[in-house]
Amino acid sequence: MMALTARIVVALTLAAAGVSATGCATVQPWQRGLLADSCMIFDANDTTAYMTHWQESREGSMGGFGVQGGGCGCK
Amino acid sequence: MIGRHLFTVVLAGVLAAPVLGAVPKNAPDITLTALSGNPIRVADLKGQVVLLDFWASWCIPCRRSFPAIDALHRELQPKGLTVIAVNVDEQQKNAYTFLEKYPHTMTIAFDPKGAIAQAFDLQAMPSSMIVDRRGRIRFTHEGYTDKTISQFRSEVLQLLAESE
Repeated sequence: MMALTARIVVALTLAAAGVSATGCATVQPWQRGLLADSCMIFDANDTTAYMTHWQESREGSMGGFGVQGGGCGCK
Repeated sequence: MIGRHLFTVVLAGVLAAPVLGAVPKNAPDITLTALSGNPIRVADLKGQVVLLDFWASWCIPCRRSFPAIDALHRELQPKGLTVIAVNVDEQQKNAYTFLEKYPHTMTIAFDPKGAIAQAFDLQAMPSSMIVDRRGRIRFTHEGYTDKTISQFRSEVLQLLAESE
């Protein structure tokens, strides 16, 4: 009985992993209009930039708020 | 002995592959919709040198490339250059706002679904392709710097000098 339950759990886990794996999508260069919007940038204004810098320094989490750019894919 | 010759042949093939692969590809046979609403079939432009520029209102370098390419169009149109600036904005109103800000004389086309961009296998924004008189993509540029426009000019002049 336990073996059957374990198999079901394993099967469900694999199924969930499979479903979540398909959740990844490649955003093409021409589809990055929304990602390039200024509201998508973490430090879009000075206050946010200061707060982010302060928090990164305090927590030692440099880079935790993303890297430069809004993801527009521009070169 | 045979194995050694075979190895040499295979090695030569591998080394030559990038050069052989550089044979210009034909531009995809697609039809664009111009700002005026008229269709533009790229295959019908054979005999002309065509510069296709993919731009978007949200693309920061496009703010510099768009007016520079339009100036190139004004300069070289009398010599036979056709420029089509393909907009890939999903929201066309953003493109119109951009166009109001940047006066232009070149042909504008729209590709809101990205079908044309996909057909040209776009890798970055902005991207530009220069198509020769025989309809082959001879030059591809990704991104834009101040040096790009002088490259465009020399490449276009080179293709204009070629016969069909």
